[in-house]
Amino acid sequence: MSEEHKQPLQSSLRVQELIYGLRISEVMTSKVFAVSRNCTMRDVQTIMKNNSITGVPVVDSKRVVGIVTMNDLMNALEQGAMEQNVTRWMVGEVQTLAEDMPLSFAISAFGKFSFRQFPVVNKKNELTGILTFRNINHALIRELSRQLRQMEQQSEQPVEPASLNLSKVYQLHRYDFENGGKASSEIKKFLKERGVPPKLVRRVAVASYELEINLVAHSIGGMLGFDINENRVKISSHDRGPGIEDTEKALTQGYSTANEWIRSQGFGAGMGLPNVKRVSDEFAIESAVGMGTMVQSIIYLKSEKENENQ
Amino acid sequence: MELQRIAYALDAELICGPDDWEKINIETVFASDLMSDVLMSDRDEMLMVTSLSTEQSIRSAGIVGSEAIVIANDKTVTEGMIELAKDQDIALFCTRHPKFESCVRLGRIMEV
Repeated sequence: MSEEHKQPLQSSLRVQELIYGLRISEVMTSKVFAVSRNCTMRDVQTIMKNNSITGVPVVDSKRVVGIVTMNDLMNALEQGAMEQNVTRWMVGEVQTLAEDMPLSFAISAFGKFSFRQFPVVNKKNELTGILTFRNINHALIRELSRQLRQMEQQSEQPVEPASLNLSKVYQLHRYDFENGGKASSEIKKFLKERGVPPKLVRRVAVASYELEINLVAHSIGGMLGFDINENRVKISSHDRGPGIEDTEKALTQGYSTANEWIRSQGFGAGMGLPNVKRVSDEFAIESAVGMGTMVQSIIYLKSEKENENQ
Repeated sequence: MELQRIAYALDAELICGPDDWEKINIETVFASDLMSDVLMSDRDEMLMVTSLSTEQSIRSAGIVGSEAIVIANDKTVTEGMIELAKDQDIALFCTRHPKFESCVRLGRIMEV
């Protein structure tokens, strides 16, 4: 396959990676219609009808206590109970999403639960928005057009062979140990050819390699994105699950959940994430059980002093 | 120390390597079957000795700057490993000696 044929795949992966990295708060609908406990099903019907929406959260001093969906409304209608309180018909124990979670977690949640919308809450557990498939589609279209514009601009400018600018995304599959490591080899080569000092190349290679191994050994699959410019290398890893229960523990040297098979491959000693953190100038991890894990590692190519001087 | 001398001391068989592999200078050695440990290393590990015969051994060695790798204990080397070693310009060897024995032999010749 020629490079030309490979490009659409790479750009679609990039779009996926970009929307994975967005925060839920950047994508959700912030104008939420909610009702309080003492509202009736008729009130909900009016709200749904007037605003063309299919789900209304029920709140008690800003906390989500339930949600009334189109389904609940139809049930109430069938029973002629439209004047009854929403608390009798709503679904309690609502699955909410935190507004600062990466969008990839929400995408996993849509896959895992059969809900069509998720109420979004802030750190204080107060309702701040609602997330539907439509929001995700909009975000996708927005990123696609942005990507398209960028590609058009790039094709107008000839690429300098020595340029350090690179965005690339790799897809990794569960237990695919044979391909785990390809990304870091390629990136290592790219940096080496452009005269990046060996010590820095090594730190980038270690971080990306450990993250690749994590994706194939521990996740059900995910992607590894590289965003490189002359100042820094940014590596982002997104996976679709299973998520880490205790990220603090996962960053403890020697703590591992690896099975025998992973260990037989020479890994699973509980050094992966601590090692990524060790070689990174900036490091961040977020995880939610059942939704996924996001790790970001930044390695400066110029010392901070040089960055400041610019 | 020249790689040629090391290969001789380990009764190692060359699987693939750059043209002038004999002259490669080796000053540091790392022996491990745990790639996580290899990747934690801070210095350049010019030679890696391992009985883990997988593609990941070659990749890990490449990351820590190895110029040669010895697979101990008479393990089978796969085509994929050879490809990777060639791609990264790493000399790949095999020895019938177990890892401990290989390290003892290395220790004897590297001690001044």
